[in-house]
Amino acid sequence: MAKHIMCLTVNGDLHEFAVDDTDTLLDVIRNQVGFTGTKRGCTTGSCGVCTINNDRGESILACLTHALEWNGEAITTIEGLEANSELDAIQAAFVEFGAVQCGFCTPGVIMSAKALLNKYPNPTEEQINEGMAGVLCRCTGHIKVKEAIRNDFRLRQAKSGVRR
Amino acid sequence: MIKNIDASVVGTRQPRLDGPEKVSGRALFTDDVRPAGMLHGKILRSRYKHARILKLDTSKAERLPGVKAVITAVDATGIYATQNEPAICGDVTRYIGEELAAVAAIDEATAAKALELIDVEYEVLPSVTTIKESLEPGAAQVDPGIPGNIVSDNTDSYGETDEAFAHADLVFEDKFVTRPTHNLFAEYHVCVADFSRPDKLDIWTPTQTAYLFQHSFARSFKLSLNQVRIVHLHTGGAFSGRGSVRPHHYIAALLSRKAQRPVKVFSSGDEEFLICRTLGDNEYKLRTAVNRDGIVKAIDVEATLDGGGQGHALGYFGWMVGLCMSWIMDLEGIRFRRQVVLTNQRPNYLGHGGMMIGTNAGLMQQLQRIAATLNMDPVDLLLKNAIEAGHHGMTGEHFASCGLKECLEKVRDASGWKDKYGKLPKWHGIGVSMGSMAAGARGAFKHDTSAAMVKVGEDGLVTVYTGIPDMGQGTHTTMAIIAAEVLGIRAQNVQVVAGDTDITPVDVGAFAQRGTIMTGNAVKNAATEAREQLAKNAAEYLGVAEADLEFAGGHIYVSGSEIDLSVQGDDSILPGTRSAKNAEANQAAVASSTESDGKPTSVSFAKIAYGSLHSKEGRFVMGRGFYTTPVDFGTAAWSFGAQIAEVKVDPETGEVNVLKVWVAHDCGRAINPLAIEGQIDGQVYSAMSQVLYEECETDEGQYLNPSRLEYKMPRTYEMPDVEYFIVESNDPYGPFGAKEVGEGPIVVAGGAIAAAVSNAIDAFLPEIPMTPYKVWREITKNEKRRRGEAA
Repeated sequence: MAKHIMCLTVNGDLHEFAVDDTDTLLDVIRNQVGFTGTKRGCTTGSCGVCTINNDRGESILACLTHALEWNGEAITTIEGLEANSELDAIQAAFVEFGAVQCGFCTPGVIMSAKALLNKYPNPTEEQINEGMAGVLCRCTGHIKVKEAIRNDFRLRQAKSGVRR
Repeated sequence: MIKNIDASVVGTRQPRLDGPEKVSGRALFTDDVRPAGMLHGKILRSRYKHARILKLDTSKAERLPGVKAVITAVDATGIYATQNEPAICGDVTRYIGEELAAVAAIDEATAAKALELIDVEYEVLPSVTTIKESLEPGAAQVDPGIPGNIVSDNTDSYGETDEAFAHADLVFEDKFVTRPTHNLFAEYHVCVADFSRPDKLDIWTPTQTAYLFQHSFARSFKLSLNQVRIVHLHTGGAFSGRGSVRPHHYIAALLSRKAQRPVKVFSSGDEEFLICRTLGDNEYKLRTAVNRDGIVKAIDVEATLDGGGQGHALGYFGWMVGLCMSWIMDLEGIRFRRQVVLTNQRPNYLGHGGMMIGTNAGLMQQLQRIAATLNMDPVDLLLKNAIEAGHHGMTGEHFASCGLKECLEKVRDASGWKDKYGKLPKWHGIGVSMGSMAAGARGAFKHDTSAAMVKVGEDGLVTVYTGIPDMGQGTHTTMAIIAAEVLGIRAQNVQVVAGDTDITPVDVGAFAQRGTIMTGNAVKNAATEAREQLAKNAAEYLGVAEADLEFAGGHIYVSGSEIDLSVQGDDSILPGTRSAKNAEANQAAVASSTESDGKPTSVSFAKIAYGSLHSKEGRFVMGRGFYTTPVDFGTAAWSFGAQIAEVKVDPETGEVNVLKVWVAHDCGRAINPLAIEGQIDGQVYSAMSQVLYEECETDEGQYLNPSRLEYKMPRTYEMPDVEYFIVESNDPYGPFGAKEVGEGPIVVAGGAIAAAVSNAIDAFLPEIPMTPYKVWREITKNEKRRRGEAA
């Protein structure tokens, strides 16, 4: 089986590698680029632990996405959220409000939350419920995850000092 | 000078210490481990639920380029997982998914291809897939050694059960069943093994107990304990599902031994459902004897448990399921019989909440019906029967602390129960529940000991070494808080090293709700020893007796002296950083409190830690501690809880919507309220999930819904509001009075939700989970019954 050369910008850095037809974004992120924060779960798109963001800040299930189709595109993984060694507001909110327990689903849950907040900076309860419906978290029962998301807006405001 | 401020760490809301690592994606789990030269293992599984293996030819698979090892039962002789399961089946397979052979190859695709090249010939045998079929005369025999398919039949009886039933005013009887579930943790089953050297076996795997894993591997491979190293990095949830070594763990080790390279075995989504070992189809008959005044006199439970293809250990654990009913009520007698029946299904074991979610869901529905019959309020009925501190149980338990009644009163008042019970609109329901959970269980394992070490660095930062795994429950943060409290420093200045049996001291592990009480006490003892070592130097420095010293806020100070505890003593030596680089330079900056005569009355913790090592004596501060339960058998401390749930049922579809759950939990003492709330949230979620949704559907032993899309669990929009009340009964055995919160609330939540649904539709629901169809069926039956009576 012949390999194909492709390039992908991951968290701002351009990577080039050879992939099979069957390789998914999950395979290349974990095995070629070497970021292991994006987790391998069901690999059938039902648990959400592999969620990443595209360049428009929307969530993608890396396990269901063929790598080759993303030749030349840019993605953000959980490792790309920190800036200058400082956690993103939503990451900090997850820690502060106890939205993290075992932590296995956390990268996927946070990338889903990030996509939600990109679309709705101050989401309603309904928008949170809908936006986060694609991820499963038995440890937290989603309760403190929702609390962290609700507080992200407040933390961001406090940090920037800007009132909207 | 501020005096008497509360500088204690215990009881403050502490975000988990591994939080930043986990939210940044840096936290490593087993699937992220890749030792040099690692191969990928795949397992060939039985396609038939009962069949003789006539031929198993691996020659073609062995010749496939890239294949480095193929193993069959011959390579696994004498190796058994818990419950007598052979690591690889050799002759007769008893369930779909049983391990028949395995391959290690350079990548997963090659391993998968090799599995297809293995030639298996089966002779299909007669089979049984339900308890009913299994118990029929002349039924197919699952295990040739077990005629009649009953693998065990045990009865525990305490007190005067028959006598109580004979003399009671009323006897209530209900039958109910629970369906198979899956623990369904986020991180699937996975194991990396390196057995390329014969004298050392390295295992990386998520687990609740490195200790028991180490013993199992050592026994199976005839190694000494220190030749087996179990590494559990972060563990992605456990929920009672990671307590024992399974065939895939052994297979990873066997493949590695044969290939002489490290091997990873990772289970795929549908495979995950075949290899979990959790609850099966269980049937219960519940009889309760009660007097007209509402006093419950005795309970008699008969359970028939589906053990699946093995299930040898299931009967043993059942003792607690019945007994726990006697922990909440002052009964005259309790009897619990459990028969474990073999079927050609996945071997079954314990699930999240033991079997107690199901049994409590039955009991609370029944108690609610008893209250209605006696014209009593169900909360009053529970209050009337609830035990109090000082109560002695029927097997010699002494309940030294108990906040059960307070829990009931809290949820009753907060939920507005009096205005709701019997007064809600049609198809709305409210239910109350109570329960208890043992913290620690001597007798379930060969011992119940936890040990810990506490190292105080010369920069004043502390490291706790513990063998207890953190599967998400937050126990490592709890241990840091306990050490911080004893040493009078901040929890952030404590790091926890765990997850490697080559490094950490012995600890039975994280089950039976033993973490906080057993490991917590061990850490407390180790920290106390470290504190004594520090006190020696501090006493010399301050010129007082060791007994006169207090440790708080990062200071060590003379008892009774005035000290500003709002300024962290340990922070002053390490401003804003965990780095120890400038520790020595900062020594000068430490301002010690002094009395008017110029004699210092306090000194920073870090200064004494530094001074101990750099003293003439050169003492390095390191404390050791261990703890085991003071009782000969069972448990020394029990948590208690009460919950009220409010639900709405759609009579057209039978769909249940949980509106709100009020939770009161007596955890003894809240070490970390933030973590306690998180534990309660997750347990309300799982209890609701087990009572309303979760069910492994099978047809003739074949799984019909082996994925997270089809195996229903609550999504964000289905979660109710949860309101928490933490009740502190301060247990004398618990560290700072703490007991448990790891499994108590799940049992209670299941009962409350079940009772609320029962209340909404005015019927006893005999099948759990109460999926829409089953709720609708009971509504329809009820309607028919009413119409029949009217006609």
